[in-house]
Amino acid sequence: MDVEARITDILVKSFHMEPDEITPEANLKTDLEMDSTELVELVIGLEQEFKVSLRDGELSNKQSVGDIVKIISDKLG
Amino acid sequence: MYKIAITGLGVVSPAGQGKVGFWQNIQTGQSFMSPITRFDAAAYPSQIAGQIEELAAKHISPRLLKKLDRFSVLALAASEDALQDAGLDLTQHDPYISGVFLGNALGGWLYAETELRDLYVEGRDGVSPYNASAWFPAAPQGQVSIRYRIKGYSKTVVADKASALIAIDHAARIVDRGKLTFALAGGTEAPVTPYAMLCCSTEGGLSPGPYRPFDKERNGFVVGEGAAVVVLETADTARQRGAEIYGFVTGFGTTCDGTHRILPDVGGEGLAQAIRFALATAKYNPEDIDYICADGVATELGDISEARAIRTVFGDRADQVPVSAPKSMYGHLLGAAGAVELVGTVMAMQGGMIPPTINHRFHDPECNLDLVLDEGRRADIGKALVIARGRGGVNAVMAVERS
Repeated sequence: MDVEARITDILVKSFHMEPDEITPEANLKTDLEMDSTELVELVIGLEQEFKVSLRDGELSNKQSVGDIVKIISDKLG
Repeated sequence: MYKIAITGLGVVSPAGQGKVGFWQNIQTGQSFMSPITRFDAAAYPSQIAGQIEELAAKHISPRLLKKLDRFSVLALAASEDALQDAGLDLTQHDPYISGVFLGNALGGWLYAETELRDLYVEGRDGVSPYNASAWFPAAPQGQVSIRYRIKGYSKTVVADKASALIAIDHAARIVDRGKLTFALAGGTEAPVTPYAMLCCSTEGGLSPGPYRPFDKERNGFVVGEGAAVVVLETADTARQRGAEIYGFVTGFGTTCDGTHRILPDVGGEGLAQAIRFALATAKYNPEDIDYICADGVATELGDISEARAIRTVFGDRADQVPVSAPKSMYGHLLGAAGAVELVGTVMAMQGGMIPPTINHRFHDPECNLDLVLDEGRRADIGKALVIARGRGGVNAVMAVERS
């Protein structure tokens, strides 16, 4: 599975989102209604899934799903 | 003095969800206790509790559910129930004319104790980010206000087992002053957790069962989980919107014994004074009262001091005022108790039947009251009192009137 599909999978399983609402353009806050506590859960989920480390503030709910995919992809090299 | 209409009754309890099922069940004199299977309760003096096995709460999404402690879920279920019963859609009104007033004694301990264990075992990263918003006592108030877009004067009351009654009185007074048009008021509690049971146990009040208020062989209370919420508004508002009025909250008294960190004053003088205050604010005389829904905590001092307080205020008429503790059937809902008992009392007024105390076998001359035992008793109830008392000597008494 590619990075985007794995992130979509986390969002669906952890937050009970519908797969078709998770597009690269979807904003975490305005489209997916994620608050700051859900962002913490997402960070933990991403760190476990991709074995990466994310700094405080590196992810924000002002970002889109595509932004998150890029951040993770860059870390994976 | 106030006279505030009760137009919605919501209840989620071990004896049923919804006022109709709850009422049918509590007339029967059955026990709704069951063995605790959610955790190993072998180390506790009590291994039974009043538990809700199937909770109808489809209006709560899975995404929200994982962020809530059970006491918030129960409050949301009872609130939905109350609003449906009242035929009231708060989202159609100005959000600032409605408020929510909920009592609880413990907070969201199932969530909190699980996450605290993770904190000590796994460190900071092991703690759910939702714990911060799940465990604290005002969490149910926040969730109910979000769900129904309630933005007016609201309050959470934490006063041990008297919490819900104090919350309901507060709501009634705010509606009476015209600061709110509608109030959701009641209590919620989810005490079937290891830590909550431990606190009840070390307090010395927990019984291995059966829960037998006012019985000479009593040995404490059995906990129950649940929530009850009523809709309050003025009679004028209710009539204008064509709502049915089920009863009225008409008076309230609260006092503190100020004698011991846990135990009540043995003479019951503090409770007697709270009863007098409730009667006075409702402009009732003792002879007006047709039924007393007792606290009935089933501890030695609790029951004796409650019986003495009733005798002090009612004198010889205490022989003729029916008293019962329906919580002997479904458990002590702690901070939610007063609200559940208020719902039961309003239903008793409507149904002309007093719900009984069960498990009573041995008469206690120290509790010489007209106890309604084993099965419901037919009665014409026009005016009643509901009593709720907390650790540390908190006394609360609400006067209620039939519509």
